[in-house]
Amino acid sequence: MKTHRHKKASRQFSFAFESFGVKVRIQTWHKEVTDEIEARLDRIIPAALYKKIEPEKAAHVLSIGCRHADEYVIYRGRRQLSFGQNWENVLKYFDWQIRLTIAEFARERVFLHAGVVGWKGKAIIIPAKSFQGKTTLVKTLTRMGAQYYSDEYAVLDAEGYVHPFPKMLSIRGFDDPYRQIDYPVESLGGKAGTVPLPVGLILLTEYQSGAEWEPQILSDGNGVMELLSHTIPIRYKPKFSLKVLNKTVNRAIIVKTKRGEAEDFATSLLSFFENKAL
Amino acid sequence: MKSSQVPVARKEGLVIQETTEEVLVYDLNSNKAHCLNQTAAFVWKSCDGNNSIPEITKLFAKETGADVHEDLIWLAIDQLNEKDLLQAELATNLSGRSRRDVIKKIGLATMVALPIVASLTAPTSVLASTSCSCLTDGDCTTQAGCGSATCNCLAVCAPPPSDPNACPDPLTQKRKSR
Repeated sequence: MKTHRHKKASRQFSFAFESFGVKVRIQTWHKEVTDEIEARLDRIIPAALYKKIEPEKAAHVLSIGCRHADEYVIYRGRRQLSFGQNWENVLKYFDWQIRLTIAEFARERVFLHAGVVGWKGKAIIIPAKSFQGKTTLVKTLTRMGAQYYSDEYAVLDAEGYVHPFPKMLSIRGFDDPYRQIDYPVESLGGKAGTVPLPVGLILLTEYQSGAEWEPQILSDGNGVMELLSHTIPIRYKPKFSLKVLNKTVNRAIIVKTKRGEAEDFATSLLSFFENKAL
Repeated sequence: MKSSQVPVARKEGLVIQETTEEVLVYDLNSNKAHCLNQTAAFVWKSCDGNNSIPEITKLFAKETGADVHEDLIWLAIDQLNEKDLLQAELATNLSGRSRRDVIKKIGLATMVALPIVASLTAPTSVLASTSCSCLTDGDCTTQAGCGSATCNCLAVCAPPPSDPNACPDPLTQKRKSR
């Protein structure tokens, strides 16, 4: 065991990929560990959205090291991000950091932390923090026939069109409210969208038991302010981000409402969407 | 004193986007975003270094076709001062009254919207993308809005699972190759 750790200093094992113009090298102290991460890359980023590249071409380095007898350390460049002892947990955290790196530095795209579905040629974006029922709503809408675009990121281009980022849905609550299990959208009876869509509606909502559909329509400016809290590259590229957000809200209705149970809410939402946004 | 009554809108270090009704301003120095409603935006745009407050008042009255009290313009200037959107801070002229008193007075008398500058600090990428994923409690302090400030055994910033058996056994979860 110690031999592996000592080898870390003299040799690193890596692979690299490019996604949305972001070139990332993944590096660990052990070949088997690197291979394990490479093998799960399709779970981290949808397979169609990345390609392998030569490691020396990468501009960003994410790595896992090993210290003491039983601790894994995660780095972005030379900066330590976190550390842990449970390998599965370390991998989950590392997955998030890989996606976050792409989301922050993507070229000509703005990533919002949001769920996205398509309905009759237009997109519904649901920006929200974790634990606010974003995935539940996306899953429900998908079961009702909406096309699945993402349960994590709305990927906007310079014209404000949203592109698919159809990673597996991360669903909590089957055995524990906080345990997350990933499912392909097809296994839930849904279908992933494949083409960029104009945004028809931006839904700002959070779960509140018994809440009714009471939409409040926001102005474009207030809509952008709401979206800013979920805009991953806002500090890295504020000018481009603001321009894209402005174009996006310009075509969309921005609605704020509490939501009760997902099924009833989704029915009201789609009815509203068809009347006002199509 | 006369020159100090002529406000100049700050332009350096700002990203400006106009929407259909408002003006969005992003301050690159402070990473703060501001949304100026139509009234605040009109006043800000009129702060060109030539117009005094009485002149801006007249311009705004002409624009809206309404009777406009100078206090309304001062109310906007007061907020623009506070948000660092003027080149130099102006001594406000609300005659010792609080902003609330002035709003109460002109709010009842005016037919135009009161100036509003709404602001927020832009999130870091981690905060914007809060996943509540964690390995240590420290990871939870950088992610607002999760269920807990401590990292539970499922690597989530949340209370411990109700079923203690849900926690993975660290000894069986280590990489076998090590």
